[in-house]
Amino acid sequence: MASNYDLVPEHELLSESDAKKISKKFNTPLEKFPKILESDPQAVKLKATAGQLIAIHRDDDGKKYVAYRYVVKG
Amino acid sequence: MQAELIDHIRFTAVSPDMVKRMSVAKIIVPDTYNDDGYPIDGGLIDQRLGVIDPGLKCKTCGGRAKVCPGHFGHIELVRPVIHPEFAKTIYLLLQSTCKDCHRILLNEKQIGDLRPTIEGFVRADDNDKELGLQTSVESEDKNLSIIKKLKTVKKCPYCGAVQGKLKLDRPTFFYMNGNRLKSDEIHDWLAKISNEDLALLGIDGTVTRPEWFVISYLLVPPVNVRPSITLESGERSEDDLTHKLVDIIRTNQRLEQDIDAGAPQIIIDDLWELLQYQVTTYFNNETPGVPVARHRSTRPLKTLAQRLKGKEGRLRYNLSGKRVNFSARTVITPDNYISMDELGVPQKMAEVLTVPFYVTKWNIEYAKKLLSNTSYPTVLNHISKDGTRKRVADMNREELLAALQPGDILDRQLIDGDVVLFNRQPTLHRISINAHIVRVLPGNTFRVHLASVTPYNADFDGDEMNMHVPQTLEAQAEARLLMNISTSIVSPRNGLPVVVALEDMLIGAYELTKDGAYYQKDEAARLLASVGVYELPKPSKDGMYSGKDIFSAILRDDLNFEYTDKKNPNNMAVIKNGRLVKGYISSKLIGKRGMLLLHIYDKYGPEEAKRFLNDVSKLAGRAVYTFGMSISMRDYYISSLEGERQKIISNTLSEASELLRKYKDGTLEPLPGYTKKQTYELEVFATLNIARSIAMKVILDSLTIDNKAMLMISADARGNILNFVQIGMFLGQQSVRGGRPSRGYNGRILPYFTRKDSNPMNKGFVKSNYIEGLGFIDYYMHAMGARDSAMGKPLVTAVSGYLMRRLVNAMQDFYVGNDLSVRDAGGALIETLYGGDGIDPMMEKMQ
Repeated sequence: MASNYDLVPEHELLSESDAKKISKKFNTPLEKFPKILESDPQAVKLKATAGQLIAIHRDDDGKKYVAYRYVVKG
Repeated sequence: MQAELIDHIRFTAVSPDMVKRMSVAKIIVPDTYNDDGYPIDGGLIDQRLGVIDPGLKCKTCGGRAKVCPGHFGHIELVRPVIHPEFAKTIYLLLQSTCKDCHRILLNEKQIGDLRPTIEGFVRADDNDKELGLQTSVESEDKNLSIIKKLKTVKKCPYCGAVQGKLKLDRPTFFYMNGNRLKSDEIHDWLAKISNEDLALLGIDGTVTRPEWFVISYLLVPPVNVRPSITLESGERSEDDLTHKLVDIIRTNQRLEQDIDAGAPQIIIDDLWELLQYQVTTYFNNETPGVPVARHRSTRPLKTLAQRLKGKEGRLRYNLSGKRVNFSARTVITPDNYISMDELGVPQKMAEVLTVPFYVTKWNIEYAKKLLSNTSYPTVLNHISKDGTRKRVADMNREELLAALQPGDILDRQLIDGDVVLFNRQPTLHRISINAHIVRVLPGNTFRVHLASVTPYNADFDGDEMNMHVPQTLEAQAEARLLMNISTSIVSPRNGLPVVVALEDMLIGAYELTKDGAYYQKDEAARLLASVGVYELPKPSKDGMYSGKDIFSAILRDDLNFEYTDKKNPNNMAVIKNGRLVKGYISSKLIGKRGMLLLHIYDKYGPEEAKRFLNDVSKLAGRAVYTFGMSISMRDYYISSLEGERQKIISNTLSEASELLRKYKDGTLEPLPGYTKKQTYELEVFATLNIARSIAMKVILDSLTIDNKAMLMISADARGNILNFVQIGMFLGQQSVRGGRPSRGYNGRILPYFTRKDSNPMNKGFVKSNYIEGLGFIDYYMHAMGARDSAMGKPLVTAVSGYLMRRLVNAMQDFYVGNDLSVRDAGGALIETLYGGDGIDPMMEKMQ
């Protein structure tokens, strides 16, 4: 499965309170975050449902940064 | 004024009733003007449809030309026709409903299953929440998949009628079981579908009834939409739409006459079909499967769809793109005696372009002086405090001068020191638009400093560029502070300098600063005077002045810099306390990737880097002027290397024949994944190609910069060694599609060769050079290679142009916020951190 692949960065399902914190950190409502489909293999694996937030922990040549995806239906 | 908030917009088809309500005139005459040149009543230029000729009054609203907005008319079609743009929807509806009872081909249970998604649909219509929108997209997909299956339903679940096989013959003809369905039959069928059934198909029948997709009342646009033009000869020329409408009315009339006269059905059907064709092409003259309607001159007519579509259509040409005021365009020419961030503006332009000048109590004296001028730096318009605008003329100058008060605005002519934006297309870069400072000059061309040509990718073989004059103080400040070309010295792409010394400047800098360059007092004084230095440095030996010291005059006293060539450590330059003590100034320092320039930019900022470049170009320019720099054919005619040349060629040829021997023996090891034949071809090609590299090396080793061509090459001013080889030694192997030319005649390229001849000369290896000239076979081979490389270019530009358009459209209002996140105009996050690392490459320090 693709989710086990080396190059797929680690996905993490955030709790509602964490999601709220992130939303506050960027001063942006969750709906205005980049989106990920519920049917995305990573979302399926995390059992994410619409309205939740997923954090993607990327590692670009040792430089670490986190990207966020707001889960939507589909 | 506060804009009203738009709650929602609804697009619907226009009903026949609506057409009748909108229409002010029924059009019955297929003509425009009568013999007196007066619009015919009931014709296509009926005065009730509005007026475009000055002097006439609109018979509907009484307004004159430019006041009357125009009014719609209509044509009553004696037989209905299909609206071609709705044919697909009609097809879907016919497939989904029963041919007899016109109910949807779904049983009660299936309808029950569909209900929830339909309700989601309705919710989205109520403009609920974002979630609702998603449901609607989803339900639309779901509905579509159900509807698609409906065409396979054989029997109506309500009346039990067996469904016929429907066929759509594009664009507008429908067949059932091979029999043509006439438009009026389709109209009646569609009219009988109930609103409840339509809702299941995603159509709100209370808003758009499907029978409106079959036209019997055709809307005629106002004359304002299709103005006729009067030629110099007094002859009138009608708009394409008018022509098309004439055709429609004519066909309609013939059809009516034939029906009234009781003509045979075949003739009526033929005319009906013709009417359908006219209407189809009226909407879109590029409808697939329909012959193009043409003008008498065989030019295709531009009908409704053509007006809107594509690059020259209403949307992209008139709405997304508009003509710009306060702008100018002309040819560019070089001028190194102005500053790099200046722009030489022709006097004629400066006299026409204006900048608003806000009169205050502090500048009113200057304003009065400007206003009193009767020639060049003067005022073109006066806008008084209360907003009344007056053109300044000699007649009213005194009067305006007396009344001038703080708060007035003057439209002042462009003068030295104003800020303008300068641009060259294609604008692929943000550095393709920069701010420059105006320098009004005589002549008709924009004068551009040579160094500032790189970001625009401009040259002077006839290039034209555009200038824009920012009008508001905010825009002017932004241009000055953020967009000045000196801030583009370092590229935002990789942090390396792009606005650099080039060509003559590099040769001049080298000649001036090379070891052993000493000058007499007068020469040294002239050189220094060119950059405004009027003090001589200390003379070195026997009263002579060192070029390095002269160059040091334009270096800051606190500048310390060291540069070592990585490939050749002997080649180094050392600047100590603003004095060039060792080495010479090369392109490695001030040219592309110029480290000294970058150092100055980093340490002292854009202003100082600009000053440095200006001084380098003036000083080096003066230096070239002093020494002179000419090349001649003799520089390229290197008879001393004739022996070398022959050796390289014969060595290469014998290597090639050695490969051939191996290939024929079968001892040639095939490369992985290639056959022996392919391997042979690849290796021969590589071997023959290497000949040029060997020749390059020979030239590099045996020629010095006493040869002016070599001087240009080693100074990175112009040309490269390959050019030299091809001019003076031999052209070498020509390549077509990445290999040796191979096609042409049977077993050979030209008929002059014997078949299967392995001689490399017969496959594009050219021994001759540009100086001695090419024989006709060599010429042919060269032409093949040249054509091959020329073919790629327009293709690449077209592809990259389109890519650019897509990228610009996709990202045009993204911005990097204060928290370094990338957002779109609606504030939605695109990236949490710009580039994933928050780094602006322009600010990154090169190691």
